[in-house]
Amino acid sequence: MKEERIAKPEIAEMSGPAAIPRKSGEMVFHDDWERKSFTIAVSLAEQGLFEWEEFQSELIASIKEAEGDDPHHPSRGYFESWLISLEKLLDKKLTES
Amino acid sequence: MSTHNHDTPNPYHDSHRDEAQNKALAERVDKIEALLLEKGLVAQDALDKLADIYENDLGPMNGAKVVARAWVDDEYKKRLLEDATSAIAELGFSGLQGEHMVAVENTPEVHNVVVCTLCSCYPWPVLGLPPSWYKSFAYRSKVVIEPREVLKEFGTTLPDDVEVRVWDSSAEIRYLVIPERPEGTENLSETELADIVNRDSMIGVTKVAAP
Repeated sequence: MKEERIAKPEIAEMSGPAAIPRKSGEMVFHDDWERKSFTIAVSLAEQGLFEWEEFQSELIASIKEAEGDDPHHPSRGYFESWLISLEKLLDKKLTES
Repeated sequence: MSTHNHDTPNPYHDSHRDEAQNKALAERVDKIEALLLEKGLVAQDALDKLADIYENDLGPMNGAKVVARAWVDDEYKKRLLEDATSAIAELGFSGLQGEHMVAVENTPEVHNVVVCTLCSCYPWPVLGLPPSWYKSFAYRSKVVIEPREVLKEFGTTLPDDVEVRVWDSSAEIRYLVIPERPEGTENLSETELADIVNRDSMIGVTKVAAP
């Protein structure tokens, strides 16, 4: 089953709380800004502004915070947590440089 | 069918935001984007390309490795048929979000084929993105009623004495077909075997051909 992939598995196949929401494999974006915040983070990691693991741990922390004691009823959407993580990490990286 | 639940338990599948919230969030993203474009840290065309790459990414096609292992290792096959979720995790493949995997084995007597009659439930962690025909109404409705006819459309003609079993996927249960190992592949390695296992054979609409 040889088929080409260019997406990075460590991003596309994150598991656990950080797993990208998918419906039968297809990514679920509700709005354009969600898609945009996704590609911005991926692009910055590809260019080395940060390691994907750095972003992923921010994302997990942000998701856990939103989930609190009830993972089925998080206080905000997945990409809202994503955006918060991106803002935090950028804040850190851009002041460092 | 009324107990057949297709509502995925993922809390992130529906948006609960209103227009104003969305607008505020979009503005935050636009602000980041503008800053990064100005600093030359991102490029517009690269962003568009990435969206395309990730949204159309075929996904992990680990199913072929699972099948190849089952072909060469009888003990593994036994575990796979007993508890596919654990056996698949044994090979290091995860990513299931609460769904259970069930493996069904094709034999000279029984041919299995998978569908999701109500929507398009599909085992992403092992088969990647579903093909468009899998999601089509034609396939979903017809394969249950006339599986042999549908299989013929895929070039798979089964003798009359072969029993055809159709498995309807749900939010909780996803099926993987273990196709028959073709004759003439006795000398192939596990890796070479994985290369000949294609997606359609693991949905059960085709057989695996020897290389």
